[in-house]
Amino acid sequence: MATILLIEDDDIMLKAIRNILTRDGHEVLSAKDGKEAFDKLDNAQYDIVMSDLMMPYANGLEVVSRLRNDPNRRHVGIIICSSVGNEETITEAFRLGADDYLKKPIMAGELLIRIKKLIANRNAGAKLVTKKK
Amino acid sequence: MFNDIVTLIWTAYDKFTFLPLFIQIALAFIIIAVAATITSYIVIMFRRYNAYKVDKRMNIMRPQIEEIITDQVLINENLERIPVDEIEFDPATLNNIIFKKAWVRQATIDILISYRKNFRGEVGDLLRKLYIDLGLTKDSFDKLKSLRWERKIKAVVELTQMDIQISDVTILPLTNSTNPALRAAARNAYIQLSKNEPFKFFDIATEPILPWDQMELYKIITTTKDIAVPNFSRWVSYSTNKSVVSFCLKLIAHYDQQSAIPSVMDLLNNKDHYFRADAIACLGKLSAEVAEDRLIRIYNTQPIMCQIEILSTLGKIASGKHLEFLKQEFLYSSNFDIRMNAARAVIAHNTPASRAMIDEMMEETHEENKVIIRHCLNPLLK
Repeated sequence: MATILLIEDDDIMLKAIRNILTRDGHEVLSAKDGKEAFDKLDNAQYDIVMSDLMMPYANGLEVVSRLRNDPNRRHVGIIICSSVGNEETITEAFRLGADDYLKKPIMAGELLIRIKKLIANRNAGAKLVTKKK
Repeated sequence: MFNDIVTLIWTAYDKFTFLPLFIQIALAFIIIAVAATITSYIVIMFRRYNAYKVDKRMNIMRPQIEEIITDQVLINENLERIPVDEIEFDPATLNNIIFKKAWVRQATIDILISYRKNFRGEVGDLLRKLYIDLGLTKDSFDKLKSLRWERKIKAVVELTQMDIQISDVTILPLTNSTNPALRAAARNAYIQLSKNEPFKFFDIATEPILPWDQMELYKIITTTKDIAVPNFSRWVSYSTNKSVVSFCLKLIAHYDQQSAIPSVMDLLNNKDHYFRADAIACLGKLSAEVAEDRLIRIYNTQPIMCQIEILSTLGKIASGKHLEFLKQEFLYSSNFDIRMNAARAVIAHNTPASRAMIDEMMEETHEENKVIIRHCLNPLLK
């Protein structure tokens, strides 16, 4: 089970995803725009950040970039969830360090599987680092 | 009090009749303007008040509707356990008194559509089932019978979003409506909903498919899954609707329908040069080598826009048979666009022969043409 920051400017989508993730046992905090997201990122630790691309103040790519350039939050898993599906944007998101990309409309089951997989990969990565030390 | 007002109006009218004509006209204008302004303010205030009331009750109702959708759909325990068709909703929810009110039903439809736009798979299917089980299909079909076109559009969009079949008898006439917005919505819906013949409305279309609508249709056609793609050459050959023919040419190129090449070549005899230009461009996208000789034969009889399309098409086909023709056009045409497109066509061949020809052209021509070639050779400029 993970602590997830959900960044989504669409109220309906925000509530819907939060309900799905909460039902699956995750702890979910939410932010409606880039500014609120940065505030929440500064004040708590998250296992996964799930972000929309288009939103006020800062877009999803800026969130990815900021997380990956912050040594303390570099390990956070990032899933981009957006209706923007052009190759350039997806490539840019991965180039900046996103772990996964979900195109809206999403499938609830698929979302949960991807989150589980991301948590598993992160845990495996952490074990490797510990072993190396 | 009432008598005083009547007396005042009467006195004013009495004085008004003795005023000069232009003063009377000016006063009439002032009175009408003041009355219109006051009426407008009253209407605006009334509408704002109504909107405020709607907002207020929606703020109360929306969370309730969202909670119902969350309970019944998003966190439904049977989801992914049993097939969506077999999932039963809580009868208490379906018979909830709030759904007796028309505005609540409409709000529910809107919210369900918002959810469905964001979810596919089983959640999307269950949202559709909730829409059907709540009897909201009837509301949408009732709107479809409305005389107001905006209500009809709303109904068409709702039924399309919920993937509810609309009979051809109902939807086909709307695809040819004189109202452009309704026509476009109905055509979009028809393509998405019709499983067997999504392009049947082309047969009856007498109203044009406007450029913006073509873009919308193109987006829907290329993104709708499992769409039955017909041979578009049948409309190219027989449709009398110019916009349908033009749109079909784009679809032929998109689906690379090689079997349509003869029909497209028939359009080269058409009197409308816009048609001919579209047909030539389509032949280029299909890389129709069989059309090259014909294009060369008709070249000199064509207007500039068709000549440019022919040059561009020769570049796309790139068979190498007409490099000499392209060179001549580049060297001796007085039209700048012709020279530019001839150079591009030669470069597009990208063969040893074409590269040698570019070198020859650079040697034989004057400075302006050299600049054109250098420009066309730049891979960053298209």
